[in-house]
Amino acid sequence: MARTQVQDINQSLYDFVMPEVGAERYADGLTPDIVRAISKKKHEPAWMLEMRLQALELYQSMEMAPNWGASIEGLNMDHISTYVAPNAKRTNSWDDVPDEIKETFERLGIPEAERETLAGVGAQYDSEIVYHNMRESVADQGVIYTTIEDALTDPELEPIVHKYFGKLLPMIEHKFSALHYAVWSGSSFVYVPAGVTLPFPLQSYFRLNAQGAGQFEHTLIIVEEGGNLHFIEGCSAPKYNVANLHAGAVEIFVGDGAHMRYSTIENWSKNMFNLNTKRSTVGKDAHMEWVSGSFGSHVSYLYPSTILAGDNSDCEFTGITFAGATQDLDTGCKVTMNGKNTNASINTKSISKDGGINTFRSSVIIGPHAENARASVSCQSLMLDDMSRSDTIPAMDVRCASASVGHEATIGRISDDTVFYLMSRGCSEGEARTMVVNGFANPISKELPMEYAVEMNNLIKLEMEGAIG
Amino acid sequence: MADTMKLSHINTPPAQTWNYLHINDVSFDVPVAEEHGAAFNRLPRIFDGIECGLGDEACGWIVASSAEARYIEVPAHTRRDEPIVIDIVAENGTVADTGVCVREGAEATIVVAVSATLARDALSAALTRVLVERNAVLHVVEIVAAGGAYRHIEGLGIDAAAGARVDVSQYFLGGARVAAGMAANLAGDGATFELACRYLVGAGELLDINHVVRARGRDTREDMIVSGMLSDGASKTLRETIDLIHGAKGSQGNEAETVLLAGENIRNKTLPVILCDEDDVAGNHGATIGAISPEQLAYLSDRGLGPDEAAALFMRSIFDDALIHAPEPVSAAAVALRAETVLGAEVSRDSLETLDIDFFKEV
Amino acid sequence: MADTLLKVAGLSAGAGDKAILHGIDLAIDAGETHVLMGPNGAGKSTLGHVIMGDPTFEVTDGSILFNGADITEKSPTDRSLAGMFLSYQAPVEVPGLPLYTFLRTICQMRPELKTTARKFRDEVGALADELDLDQGLIMRELNVGFSGGEKKKIEMLQLLLLKPKLAILDETDSGLDVDALSIVSKGIEAYRQRCDGSLLVITHNTRILERLDVDRTHVMVKGHLVAEGSASLIHEIDAHGFEHYEHALESEG
Repeated sequence: MARTQVQDINQSLYDFVMPEVGAERYADGLTPDIVRAISKKKHEPAWMLEMRLQALELYQSMEMAPNWGASIEGLNMDHISTYVAPNAKRTNSWDDVPDEIKETFERLGIPEAERETLAGVGAQYDSEIVYHNMRESVADQGVIYTTIEDALTDPELEPIVHKYFGKLLPMIEHKFSALHYAVWSGSSFVYVPAGVTLPFPLQSYFRLNAQGAGQFEHTLIIVEEGGNLHFIEGCSAPKYNVANLHAGAVEIFVGDGAHMRYSTIENWSKNMFNLNTKRSTVGKDAHMEWVSGSFGSHVSYLYPSTILAGDNSDCEFTGITFAGATQDLDTGCKVTMNGKNTNASINTKSISKDGGINTFRSSVIIGPHAENARASVSCQSLMLDDMSRSDTIPAMDVRCASASVGHEATIGRISDDTVFYLMSRGCSEGEARTMVVNGFANPISKELPMEYAVEMNNLIKLEMEGAIG
Repeated sequence: MADTMKLSHINTPPAQTWNYLHINDVSFDVPVAEEHGAAFNRLPRIFDGIECGLGDEACGWIVASSAEARYIEVPAHTRRDEPIVIDIVAENGTVADTGVCVREGAEATIVVAVSATLARDALSAALTRVLVERNAVLHVVEIVAAGGAYRHIEGLGIDAAAGARVDVSQYFLGGARVAAGMAANLAGDGATFELACRYLVGAGELLDINHVVRARGRDTREDMIVSGMLSDGASKTLRETIDLIHGAKGSQGNEAETVLLAGENIRNKTLPVILCDEDDVAGNHGATIGAISPEQLAYLSDRGLGPDEAAALFMRSIFDDALIHAPEPVSAAAVALRAETVLGAEVSRDSLETLDIDFFKEV
Repeated sequence: MADTLLKVAGLSAGAGDKAILHGIDLAIDAGETHVLMGPNGAGKSTLGHVIMGDPTFEVTDGSILFNGADITEKSPTDRSLAGMFLSYQAPVEVPGLPLYTFLRTICQMRPELKTTARKFRDEVGALADELDLDQGLIMRELNVGFSGGEKKKIEMLQLLLLKPKLAILDETDSGLDVDALSIVSKGIEAYRQRCDGSLLVITHNTRILERLDVDRTHVMVKGHLVAEGSASLIHEIDAHGFEHYEHALESEG
């Protein structure tokens, strides 16, 4: 009984449902007609519709790899609606956002965060962006933060989108990137002009409210030479008994000398299939950082990937994955090093409990001309009981003799000595274990903006309480 | 001329990864196995269950292709001083299927030596499966030193009972295309397993290794150290998997890999994996891949060795190490022969003398 | 007549198959300083841990009373909150846990120690100065990368913050240089003065005892308490070591 209570508390912050009143919902399943309808609703140029149809065909002909990865049994596309539009027009004022939707985001703390600490916010509700705003000071510097849909209807921006959209993440990448390109909806388009540094982060928040629906947002970020951006992605959904699907995509182009940081706390509910693809390409002397906390989803496939194309470019990946009961989370990252004198640093942690399955999967590929490439990969796994699983599957492919790669991984549990030490200072066993796990997650929470770090610590605390209770 | 077929999924690891990396397996073209008559001499059934790292397809082919399986038993509580030698002369295209049972409390050494004197293209294979009973001790030395255009498939499967102590030394010193699989099943409590593997891959050569250790018993210990060197045009794939299975409480597994990249056009693939579904265990792995470090180069330079000499030094050390661990003449000869080709006759002879390898001394 | 704070009666304990402590009787009154000495491997550290409730050890016989209450079955948490403190020989590292967060948490869970963040910061700062601890250490991860001396000083810091009724100091002097030893001694003195607490000092060499006012000395060999006496026993051990106790035990056994 106590356990149920904790679960309720755990999810109540996210586990609320708004009625789908006045919303437009397309039929479940996937047909060319549905795809055409989506494209027509958005008044897209012909090239975009063609791309969607091509992607649909590809999706239908592709298979999931049979020899690796978490099982996606339970996900039946015939029962997923790929398009659910809230009855709301996109606005830049919270006052104009319909009450139920506004309340959703207020409960999640978005408008408050925007006032206090953000340069701009994009809020997506099911398949459409309902709110989009950016501080004037930021707009004045020439920063563009809008949706791809809007950009496509703007004669100045459409060519930029056409130039970049889909170029980094080809639809043929895997089955669910093909699906994404067929039915993508809702998005962020960010353009940072040369030399501009945003004083605060931009944040997009994705809320999936509809049952048995999918969210397929596309984020396209272009940071020109010398620009500097921190982008935060937040996502959540209430828990249903049927599957929800998230197959989003993120493409990031980091120009020469530019600096980009992409932070995510993913807390999808435990019925979510999260098959997300994120990729960044990094120019000369430029820098890319990923910070990623994965706590939710029933099944996750998530490997943010970085291509260090330019000389002297580098990237850092810091991530934590917490897999609890019913979760099978296959996460990690990929780095491809092609430029000279590149540097990659990967630090991940994973925690497994209550039968959760955690798989750390990575690849570091160093091309034959990536002279002096330096890569270090560190992966630590904590097992909180003997019912769970933690697998580490890091692959390295090195083709340049002057490259240098270091890799280390450890798996173990909280030592009894540590628990006794903390208990001998007055902590209860549960508190002691939570302290150790929070300490374990500390390097990641240090990288997150304050509210996210707090949220992460809370999530850990609640997960741990569930375990002991 | 026999028909050939393709064995496509040799050396697949227990946990695979993205297929586009082409790291999940290796393939070999092999002659189709001839039909054998009913009196075909096979190993006792019990050996069928022993995993060897190569995979069912390759194991099945070796069993079907070997002329006659060889079974050796080491009686309980005896120590067999004379190593069991599996001598593969590569140019003969030998395919050997060997099963050994080391009975309770016994101790034995198995040597697999693959060598070649003529410059030819041939395919040889050796599959060695060993049952190590309670508290028995097993030493294995594998030396694959063929070179030239030779191709070889090497499989080693070990099943260790409670208290068994197993150590394996592998030296891969040459061969155009070599696939080596090794699987150790630590089924009994307190079983221990140590693996030391060294390799040298030269121009145009491909070495593909799959090491798997399954920890099933409680308080087992498994340590794997792999260290090797890639010269110009070398290609190597190493998969190491420690599988800490539910119930293996108190077990500890370590993998460490060092690769020295000492040439251009190299292809080094590594997949060091830990699989774990038991919390009361400790698993570690580390890999270091790169050229000779600047600190080491500086130190050696202070002692009069330039970068080329330093590389040659590392290369020689692999052969010397193999010579030190070769427990009998056939394996020592295989190493020495290969050393002559790679290091030159002078250096090879010098090693034999310095290390006082007396197998070949004139009586 | 002072109250008996700690009463250990007929305590036997072991770990796994191994029996380590045999029939230990020990009583410490409020405000007293006791010393437990013995050769390496005697089981002294084990006694300290068993009194604190370390689950690695199992009590096979006897009882432990603290402040009149039977705590033999109680968890370490309960013993700590009741006013017991065990200072570690080799303090454990907890990566990612800032020392300050740890200190704040363990103090806030004791009603008598709850205070405002500002007052707490000041108190910790003052103690750090007193113990000659770099203030920067306060923000670092608990014991990670700290030197032996720093770790021991952090233990003293906790001692002075938590103000326990009974402090069990396990080989607190081992591995310390002269300066660190002096600071640790000062810490112990400060504890005695400010809290009038009881001390059980476990050690196998006598240096740390030079500045202490010892009420009672106990000698342990191979898990048995073989002698008990006043502070003068320490000098005897200084002069003659533990040999004759070891011999006596052997001939008995």
